Amino acid sequence: MDFLDRYRDIVPDWEAFRAVQSRPLKSSARINTLKVERAVLLERLEKQGLDSRPFQWYPLGLKLDVESPGKLLESLLGFIHIQEELSMVPPLVLDPRPGESILDLCASPGSKTTQISAMMENRGLIIANEPSLARVAALRSNCERLGAMNVAITRYDGRNFPRGLFHRVLVDAPCSAEGRERRGPGVIARGSCRRSLDLQALQIGLLKSALRLTRPGGVVVYSTCTYAPEENEMVVQALLDEASEYGGARLEQVRIPGLQECPGLEEWNGASLSREMRSAARYYPHINDTGGFFVAKIIKG
Amino acid sequence: MSPRSSRARNVFEPLEMAAVAELWKERFAIPESAFSGYRFFRKARSIWAVSDSQLPGLSYEAIGMRIMNCKDRPWKPTTCALQIFGSYAKKNAMHLRADSARLFLEGKTQELDPAAAEGCESGYVVVFYRGDVLGCGLYSHGKLVSQIPKERRLAGREGEDMP
Repeated sequence: MDFLDRYRDIVPDWEAFRAVQSRPLKSSARINTLKVERAVLLERLEKQGLDSRPFQWYPLGLKLDVESPGKLLESLLGFIHIQEELSMVPPLVLDPRPGESILDLCASPGSKTTQISAMMENRGLIIANEPSLARVAALRSNCERLGAMNVAITRYDGRNFPRGLFHRVLVDAPCSAEGRERRGPGVIARGSCRRSLDLQALQIGLLKSALRLTRPGGVVVYSTCTYAPEENEMVVQALLDEASEYGGARLEQVRIPGLQECPGLEEWNGASLSREMRSAARYYPHINDTGGFFVAKIIKG
Repeated sequence: MSPRSSRARNVFEPLEMAAVAELWKERFAIPESAFSGYRFFRKARSIWAVSDSQLPGLSYEAIGMRIMNCKDRPWKPTTCALQIFGSYAKKNAMHLRADSARLFLEGKTQELDPAAAEGCESGYVVVFYRGDVLGCGLYSHGKLVSQIPKERRLAGREGEDMP
């Protein structure tokens, strides 16, 4: 028995979900098209006899069975970025276009920021916000190594980000990170309902701020790497409940072809949530052999 | 320097592209066209480049990439900037062999075969290996001092070959 047991009724194939937690996740990397073409990179890896396989669902993602992949020359040159597989999902859901203006409200260490930059072909502007000075160093270092030239870094409390009207805003929120158990065992042992509720207050504040800063018709993507409904559907529900103050909001279906998602919850612990919530996506580790993630796509107005 | 100057206040001040391009042309013979599509800023004694776009009025920690440090003379290009703009260099560019490239990536100082440094003047150079820019080196009196930042160095492992 542990903290995960409270999810027994919402996770399909419970025994497999339990069993996968103790199986470490292989490294993965994203090909950085700001600096290298995919075919050229794949050829380089192949010539070195490195064991890499593209994801089935995303041509720029690679499973990389290599010791210290961050020390590969390709990594030092910024041709690849070591990034967890599901961490590549939120930028795809955000779907940024070259020339747009994007806010990444909780940006460090910049894996998603730099993926967004590559999707925008370095055109337009990304404001990458990160309040912690210590975490800004990693964000800057990754942006510089990967050649993301359309990123400006700010250090506001995301709940009080002062101004701007963005096409799209990503809130990859601080969370209890239960979905990272396969990368760093012990995360789940530290989980508690109390902790999730503390984080929830922050997450709601961040998400409201994001909606306020989005243009009418613009997109807000909310993501976490946890299973806790308190940090996922209940946060999105709190936004929907007050969305009229910000010009309204609705959910759009999250679906990545080739990745199997489960629908967002319509109820939790006896509380009913909006039926729209099933448009959000829950990714479980035993279904796609990944970590765990939650992603919701919100359209303003 | 007055106490209210930008250096003291530590803010980003816009800079003309021509002023930046001139320096890179002089040292590396990089054409000005390599810098089109970017805007430039100065903060304290460093120069930054960002993709051309409208910047909202915010307090910034970083704007794009820090490309030059002008604290000392001569000015020093950053390794990350050379990886973007250095491939256009027509002088003060150095092409290393595998063993030298490995030492360079490990952050070491090495004696260079004079042939490798042919045409290079003393000072900062763009270091290439097999057509890729590895980063910034300081060349003087036959020695090449790696300027690769610590977090981007290869860990030195005996006997390991370059790809």
